[in-house]
Amino acid sequence: MARSATVSQRRRSSTHESFLRHKGFLFLKVAVFVCVAAVAAYFFQHARPRPGGGTPLGYFLGTVGAGLIVWLALLGVRKRAVSSGHYSLKAWVSAHVYLGLSLIVIATLHTGFQFGWNVHTLAYGLMLLVIASGAIGVWAYVALPARLSENRGETTRKQMLAQIQSLDELIHEAAQGFPRDTAAIVRISLEQTDIGGGFWRRLFEDYRDCANLRALREIEAAQRTAGAHEAKALGEVAVLMRRKGDALGLARRQMHITALLEAWLFVHVPATFALLAALTVHIVSVFAYW
Amino acid sequence: MTQAITLRLITRQAGGGEIVRTRRIDSGEAMIGRAQGCDIYLPDLSVDPQHALMRVAGRNRVTIESLTGVAFQVDGKQTLRADLDAGRGQMASFGAFDLSVSEGAEDDIAVAVTRREEEHAPSPSLFSLKASLFGRRRMAWALGLTILALCLIVPLAGASLFRHLHIHPDQQWSTGPLSKAHAFLEKDCQSCHQAKFVAVRDQACLACHQAGRTPAQTLALNADLGRRGSPFIPRLISDHAGHDRLLKAMPPPPTLGGKVKGLFGKAFNHPNDRCASCHLEHTGPKGPVIEADRPIKPTLVVATTCGGCHGQLKSRLPSTGLIDTPDWKRHPDFRPLVTVSAEGPAPRIERIALTADPQEHSGLVFSHRQHLDPTGGVARMGVGLGAARGYGGALTCISCHRPTPGAGGFKPIEMERDCAACHALGFASAGGEIKLLPHGDAGKVMATLQAFYGGGSGAGAEPQRRLPGDFRPQSAAPRAANPAMASGAFRQAFSPGGTCYGCHRISWDGDGPMGVKVAKVHLASRFLPRGAFDHSVPAHKGDGLGAFNCVDCHKAKTSEHAEDLLLPGVAKCATCHGKTEHQTPAAASGQCADCHSYHKPGKATPTGQSRTFEAIFAPADGPARGIPGG
Ligand code: HEM
Ligand code: HEM
Repeated sequence: MARSATVSQRRRSSTHESFLRHKGFLFLKVAVFVCVAAVAAYFFQHARPRPGGGTPLGYFLGTVGAGLIVWLALLGVRKRAVSSGHYSLKAWVSAHVYLGLSLIVIATLHTGFQFGWNVHTLAYGLMLLVIASGAIGVWAYVALPARLSENRGETTRKQMLAQIQSLDELIHEAAQGFPRDTAAIVRISLEQTDIGGGFWRRLFEDYRDCANLRALREIEAAQRTAGAHEAKALGEVAVLMRRKGDALGLARRQMHITALLEAWLFVHVPATFALLAALTVHIVSVFAYW
Repeated sequence: MTQAITLRLITRQAGGGEIVRTRRIDSGEAMIGRAQGCDIYLPDLSVDPQHALMRVAGRNRVTIESLTGVAFQVDGKQTLRADLDAGRGQMASFGAFDLSVSEGAEDDIAVAVTRREEEHAPSPSLFSLKASLFGRRRMAWALGLTILALCLIVPLAGASLFRHLHIHPDQQWSTGPLSKAHAFLEKDCQSCHQAKFVAVRDQACLACHQAGRTPAQTLALNADLGRRGSPFIPRLISDHAGHDRLLKAMPPPPTLGGKVKGLFGKAFNHPNDRCASCHLEHTGPKGPVIEADRPIKPTLVVATTCGGCHGQLKSRLPSTGLIDTPDWKRHPDFRPLVTVSAEGPAPRIERIALTADPQEHSGLVFSHRQHLDPTGGVARMGVGLGAARGYGGALTCISCHRPTPGAGGFKPIEMERDCAACHALGFASAGGEIKLLPHGDAGKVMATLQAFYGGGSGAGAEPQRRLPGDFRPQSAAPRAANPAMASGAFRQAFSPGGTCYGCHRISWDGDGPMGVKVAKVHLASRFLPRGAFDHSVPAHKGDGLGAFNCVDCHKAKTSEHAEDLLLPGVAKCATCHGKTEHQTPAAASGQCADCHSYHKPGKATPTGQSRTFEAIFAPADGPARGIPGG
């Protein structure tokens, strides 16, 4: 896991700009040509009673669309294949993005704008979901790596975690003299702090109920009622907890940006599978009941 | 003397290996806690500063007792006090520390203190979302397989399984709403899609639309469909020619798309000569509100216009008797069914163009002019008959041609009903009762006369000249048998001036009584069976257009002979049909469908009225749908 994460990070930074402009926007031009041709054919056809998937052009566009979808989905397989073969992965991704976008035109013209509450429109909707998440992915690949390194500064992710851990050790040590009740408060910070947390927490960077923060608030309260000697010891721990809070914040921000960078794929890939299934249903059903 | 406790404090090192420090406690008591001065010092925040006391309680036995009321663990159980047997090697845990008690080597009790390994430090993979979600692939497969199962497998395999639960899993496949006419079938996909992967076949449509049922069957079907929610009764379908002839007559599709579609249709068992090839469903509402905007009936895609086939029919279907007709402007003149001869076992009927001035040999003698003359004898006789008997003046067309209510045509002429008021069949009166000759059979005429006058034959009575209707009852006939009177009356009836002679062609070389021969009569019921002239259409009566008269089209007032065919030519139709409002206020369209129809031969294409009547009573004139025929 760790290896693949660093690998993809490295590739991202080296390709994020260039896969869009690969070979002088070759695939953008191809996609625009395909769309213009499809629109022209759509308006020149003589479809009766109305345009749709059942007309000759409809069948043609449907077949092209389905072929494109299967090919686009194969990027998942291609990414896993180690050999770089004749075509570079960059070319694949470039074609993937632009031809994927051209599907909006191809599939919509295929449907003849006939939508309803049925599996056919389900397939169409899933396709739009895949495309929309892909578009977000492109934005993420272009915009987020810069924000990641800006947030991180000189610190590596390993160092961030190590820093939190050593602060934990310092807090543990500083609290050795504490009686049971205050020791219990310190243990909240040490034992219950969740650095990352779940999907939504990471996506929205929402850590208001962080255990370290709760422990800090209670230590501060105890500090106010404690005697001078005890208050000093509590103060030392409070300082360490605040430093831990800062370290957590940095790591969590990094996780938040990473989540943004990855979240779209959690839509893109499952929606692709769902799309392939719905498309199969679509094609089989129109021939089962044609 | 109490045994000594030997503490072995074991610290694991990062690189593996461990450091062991040993301490001997002779007092038999050891304080356990987090505070600096404790004998057993456990730097863990979950341990109280002076948490518990360990005491030697007997040979190889120690007791541990909590001093603060906070429990510790022995063998996985929480407890405040525990007796441990060094012989059995038991273990107590405080926080992250384990204290295991065993027999020492020097008759002492050994207590080993170890810190349990902490869980591994978090790795940088914690930064990836994968750390927080179950796998993308798992999610992907789950979603995909769910869709396949719910949307494909269940409808494919289970449509009939779920039907009685009123769940219709195949409804999700519907590509759009059905027309109003068929909306009641919307949940029952298989009423039309009867076999999977086979395009909807005619048999599905004909289950309701088959023509040729008995009226009782039709009524039962209509009632059943009504119960199932059908808003209309089904239209019954015939073809206007045999199926194979229709196919031969079709021109190939004009566009490339059409040709390609045809090829694919052939290759994939999707033939284009099905009902559903032209009558499409699921075409969607025209507007945004499904219920309101459904089309009334399936959307018709006209594969070829009438002219498309009939423009060059002869070249594709050489055996046709029809004249090529590309459009209304080039409609050939009518070729009515003319009775060429009424003689023989069956009348000979031929289609002869009006332009060839055909003669209708019905076998009768008749002058329309004479009957319609407003000042002639016929008119006087009408006055004489009086209004009470439906006359009372000069004759009009409907005096004899009686319209059939609701059907736009006329009842066939019947002598007794339509002629006999004047052309009386009475020949004698007896006891105030007028004796009538039977109509239609010379043999029965003779039998009636013989019964009246007594049998036998011979010349006798004077032939008396009588005008039609001018019946003068013979003075009380001699009842004594007088055969000569019967044959005399017979000869008189079939001779000039006689009851039969004025209308029938009569000769004396036949095999009737006394060698009489009456020409056979055939009155046509319909001259133009391929088209539909409907006399009841308001515009045809001239309603609102200054009322037309029959004689505007039928030149009856000048016709002296029964052989005259009084049909107007197609040019007469064209004085209104195909004209613009500019040209005539009676302008009407020049559509083929005004007079012809594809599925109801001999009728105009139905417009939506009179459906009930047609469905139940009007027999189909054409071959049943799908049947090959000559
Ligand atoms: C081999 C590929 C395909 C074939 C053979 C095919 C076939 C058809 C046919 C025959 C229809 C007309 C159904 C009818 O109105 O009776 C149709 C409609 C439709 N197709 Fe496809 N299709 C294909 C690919 C696609 C793709 C890639 C999509 C989008 C993801 C799609 C989405 C739709 C939609 C939304 C409709 C409209 C359904 C409706 O009328 O309600 N199809 N397709
Ligand atoms: C219906 C159309 C599409 C399908 C079926 C599809 C499918 C896929 C699949 C299966 C992957 C591989 C994911 C993985 O395994 O890591 C992928 C990656 C990707 N897709 Fe799409 N996609 C579609 C359209 C698009 C569009 C329109 C865009 C952009 C506007 C896009 C952008 C991307 C990007 C940026 C990647 C990541 C490539 C990489 O990591 O190198 N996709 N897509």
